[in-house]
Amino acid sequence: MVIDIDYIIEGFKEAIQLLIGFDREIYGIVFLSLFVSTSATIISSLICIPFGIHLGIKNFKGKKAFSRLLYTFMSIPSVVVGLVVAIMLSRRGPLGTFDLMYTPKAMIIAQALLVTPLILGLTYSLSKNRGKEIEKVGTTLGANKFDIIILIIKELKVDLMVNVVTSFSRAISEVGAVMIVGGNIKNRTRVMTTTISMMNSMGDYSMAIALGLVLLIISFIINSVIYSYSGED
Amino acid sequence: MEINIAGLKKYYSEKIILDINYLCIEKGTVTGLIGPNGSGKTTLLKIISGLDKDFIGTIKYDSELLNEDIYKKMTLVTQKPYLFRRKAYENIEYPLKIRETDKRIRKQKVEEIMKRFEIGDLRDKKGHLLSGGESQKVSLARALVFEPELLLLDEPTSNIDPESMKIMEREILRFNKEIKGTVLIVTHNIEQARRVCNNIIHLECGKVVY
Repeated sequence: MVIDIDYIIEGFKEAIQLLIGFDREIYGIVFLSLFVSTSATIISSLICIPFGIHLGIKNFKGKKAFSRLLYTFMSIPSVVVGLVVAIMLSRRGPLGTFDLMYTPKAMIIAQALLVTPLILGLTYSLSKNRGKEIEKVGTTLGANKFDIIILIIKELKVDLMVNVVTSFSRAISEVGAVMIVGGNIKNRTRVMTTTISMMNSMGDYSMAIALGLVLLIISFIINSVIYSYSGED
Repeated sequence: MEINIAGLKKYYSEKIILDINYLCIEKGTVTGLIGPNGSGKTTLLKIISGLDKDFIGTIKYDSELLNEDIYKKMTLVTQKPYLFRRKAYENIEYPLKIRETDKRIRKQKVEEIMKRFEIGDLRDKKGHLLSGGESQKVSLARALVFEPELLLLDEPTSNIDPESMKIMEREILRFNKEIKGTVLIVTHNIEQARRVCNNIIHLECGKVVY
């Protein structure tokens, strides 16, 4: 069997040319991907981190069952989230009047919902294991509930940052949810993963490889920053 | 300030851990709590400090039942203290910060207590990187800096060198004499109990023996 790898090499060459030449379409897609996934992760983190800490240190009835349910939702398929959001935002859906379907806002909502169980679950688990000790010290020093949540966030900031980055990685690398609610519309809702998927099915590998490289570079940069930050601590 | 404990019972599963009919800890005293391991000393401190609220009986603080406002007037220092992952200075400053003490006064109080504990050299060291003895000194300084009415100590000087122990005992007594604070200290060191305590309570199997 003869393997023809010329088209792969050609694809890489064209991909590098597209990146070096600051191809407008590629960079538009990259920036939209970053905007959507960053916004979704920030929105979800702002809500889920304090809430996850609160749930982690609080003893309540059914905590074990809650843990299992939450951990199950952490691995929810992105297409399921996309489908649920699409049903809610479609014209006939309960939020159809807002006309959000096939917009970046819809993609942010879908990704925020996708990473919510992940950020909540990781924060909850972290707080359940290590937050109680911090809570005890805070309580004996006279801290109120709000002070304790702030104290735990500060004490566990490195681990929380790692959790946030893990969630961001899930958001930026998923394809199902943004494809369903965004529709992969050129210059409007097209992001890296949907473009790679589309270009692959079209046999146009240069752009797919270029975006794949960008995804890898983003992942490398983020992980390097996090590891150097946690190393310092 | 006086602590009155009446009909206190504490169970773990079905086993009784504490069974105290009546106990009074008088204001302005240093009371030692001694007894073998598992006699309920630490559990009693946890209950008084509000860390454990699952008990039967009444505990009154100046004829008022324990509540959130009262818990803020006391503090607990444990045998293996948890120090925050920030500088020793910031660890000690924390109780004043959450009480919104003026920045200038905060600085003055922290500097003063660090000097008294002879831990000026630890100022910029991260709390979680300190040795056991250093942690215990910083932890006691953090507890005393906001001048609580009641200081609960669970073997605060275990595993530390004699010089550090001397400093800590001196500061506990200073707190008792100058600030008129009340101290309840769990110790296995009978000599220490004799040196610093006015009263001694002996617990055995959860009961007050004498």
